[in-house]
Amino acid sequence: MLLPEPMSRIVIVGNKSRLDQAIDALYELKLIHLIDHTVGTDEGFSIGSSRPYTEKASERLLSLKAAEKELGIKADDENDDVMSVKDVHAKITSNCTESITGAVFKVLDKKNAVVQKITEERLKKEDLSKIAGIPVDIDLYRGYDSVAVMVGSVKADPTSALSVIADSELFVSGKAGKKDETRTIALFVKKSERDNAVRILTDFEYTEIPLPTGTGPVNAAIAEADANIVAFNTELGEVEKELASLKEKHHDDILVLDEELSINEAKGSLPLRIAASEFSFVIDAWVPTKNVAAVIAGMDKKMDGNIYTEVQEDRSRSLHDVEHAEPRFKETPTQMKHGPYVKNFEHPVKLLSAPKYHEIDPTVVLSIFFPLFFGFMVGDIGYAIPFIILGLFGLKTAKHKDFRAIATVLFFGGIWAFIFGFFMFGEMFGIHFIGHNAYPTDPNALAYTWETLLNVTFPDWFHVFPGIAHPGEGISKLYDVSFLLKISIYIGIMHIFIGYALGFANIRMQHGTKEAFFEKGGWMMSFVGIVLFCWGLTDVLISGASFLDTIVMIKVIAAIVLIVVGTVVTMKKEGAQAIMELPSLMGNILSYARLTAIGMSKAGMALAFNYIALIMMAGAGPIGIVPAAIVFVVGHLMIWTLAILSAGLHALRLQYVEMMSKFYVGGGKEYEPLEIKRKNTKIVETEV
Amino acid sequence: MVVDAGLGLIAVGAGLAVGLAGIGTGLGQKDVGAAAVGAITEDMSLFGKCIVLIVLPETIVIFGLVVAILCMFVLPGMGS
Repeated sequence: MLLPEPMSRIVIVGNKSRLDQAIDALYELKLIHLIDHTVGTDEGFSIGSSRPYTEKASERLLSLKAAEKELGIKADDENDDVMSVKDVHAKITSNCTESITGAVFKVLDKKNAVVQKITEERLKKEDLSKIAGIPVDIDLYRGYDSVAVMVGSVKADPTSALSVIADSELFVSGKAGKKDETRTIALFVKKSERDNAVRILTDFEYTEIPLPTGTGPVNAAIAEADANIVAFNTELGEVEKELASLKEKHHDDILVLDEELSINEAKGSLPLRIAASEFSFVIDAWVPTKNVAAVIAGMDKKMDGNIYTEVQEDRSRSLHDVEHAEPRFKETPTQMKHGPYVKNFEHPVKLLSAPKYHEIDPTVVLSIFFPLFFGFMVGDIGYAIPFIILGLFGLKTAKHKDFRAIATVLFFGGIWAFIFGFFMFGEMFGIHFIGHNAYPTDPNALAYTWETLLNVTFPDWFHVFPGIAHPGEGISKLYDVSFLLKISIYIGIMHIFIGYALGFANIRMQHGTKEAFFEKGGWMMSFVGIVLFCWGLTDVLISGASFLDTIVMIKVIAAIVLIVVGTVVTMKKEGAQAIMELPSLMGNILSYARLTAIGMSKAGMALAFNYIALIMMAGAGPIGIVPAAIVFVVGHLMIWTLAILSAGLHALRLQYVEMMSKFYVGGGKEYEPLEIKRKNTKIVETEV
Repeated sequence: MVVDAGLGLIAVGAGLAVGLAGIGTGLGQKDVGAAAVGAITEDMSLFGKCIVLIVLPETIVIFGLVVAILCMFVLPGMGS
């Protein structure tokens, strides 16, 4: 539970002539986590070469993927029927892939040609529209022996500057009178004057436009380009229709072929990850220790005894044992092992990072405290019941793991919220319904008791929360803040201490007790010291006790001793940082005040909405009933939605930052056994 | 209406404690949050680590909150 699944390292040796059979067997077992072979680690062995059929499969897959992309088909699209592997193989060998991709690419080529034509026409039109304002036919721009034609854009009207050039003809388009307006000019000058004209135009930021080609008036040419664009677009539409019909026709085939070819490629390139000599192959792999016997027997059976499988080691959790292992054997994959409830919380842990093989898996602790904190912060049965319903709905329908994780927290957090909301706070939609004497200023309070509501008799201790002056009337989030604050801090101290204890266990398992004492034991002492010190301090500052009071003195002296000893122990490992980190311990503890704060903020908002709706509006007579209902519903819906964000995120944060940082390193590699997931194809029994 | 100036000052102090600490947290979280969103867009697996970094400045506002709660619920009691 607290540790990932124990793993064993096995080695599988066989004859190369049976490699294909062995690869099939490895995939069928679904238990083999392959260890990639490193070149040069074993004499006489090198990395294997991919199977002969792989190249063809990869080639087909590549062109198929390209076709898929162009057609907009995704590998996880829905497929109507599942095809048997035998039929798929028949399709592959009859070059079905080639004919499909050939047809698709042919239409695609057509499409690209049309798109290209449209682009060309657009560019032509763009160039023409620049000179549309100049009253010169297109054929008049070219074909002179002694006249140079210059067309381009300028920033200002160059008419007066160009008047020094004799025998020139200038056309300017663009709005006259406006300064700094880009305009197009066409200048006809003697060839001998061209350089002179360019020099003058440079001052006007002249940019040349290529001379137009064609005949007739410019506007007619533009109209022609427009007509062409329309015609090509119609053509494009037809080509796209053709593509759509191709997609429709081959959709299922493409998905099926993609799946089978991907499987072929994966299987065929597996030898690239294992060691091979001239006649044999060697596979190193991780297997869960409990499955070792099954793997050995399974390989034997599937290979008719022509294989040798041996256990190399059962990996221990101590890092000393791993120290001398080959680099490729150092990292052990992690497989979390949890029951159905805790399993739901694996995702939040993986969001941070997967645990290493050598450390405690925090999922169990997270699964206890995450919903508990969420429930404590919500603490209102009016919000809890919708949370439970929504969570249950999510768990039934949601598939994506993010949503499943959220649904889990809402459901179990909602249950805790109900428990706290009923038995501790006695609140529903911010209305305190258990007892009212203690809260004379709360106009919404109701005077039920737990006994009348449940029709049972509780023992006396049930009603007495230590330090509360009004037994049997629940705890008010807004009036008993000091009490709630104390509880929050106590929860925090316990929570952090669990974190340290797990950290101690972690280091003890990895390096031994002595190391654990120096690495975590010192911190634990400092932590207890800080707690005692703060306790003494609150006695003096808040409860008004004297510093010379014996109990206070004992607390403070014990605290100082613990802090000093703890810091000295920690300094051996971490140096001066041990001192720098001391205040942050206090910060960690106080951080749990948010448990109270978020509950308070929700109760405060609920109080405001209830006052507006129930006292001010509904109190105004029948006319106020409808607006009161609207304010009540909208207000509480808002609080409820905010609760998902605030309570959920803060509950998670307390796990990540305050507790898990005390022991969790993470960064482990997940156990990923070789496995083939078929969705669109199936193996029919008779083929095997 | 009888006005207790002392209680009023306590309320103002509590408000300042939460408000100013909130501004500080906001300033801190602004920078971290922007950088974290950038990092998450690059690599979704950084989500958990980014959350941890984003919430670090929150400690400041929690301190402010604790001071405010002490102001509101402990200080008036001490006077009497």
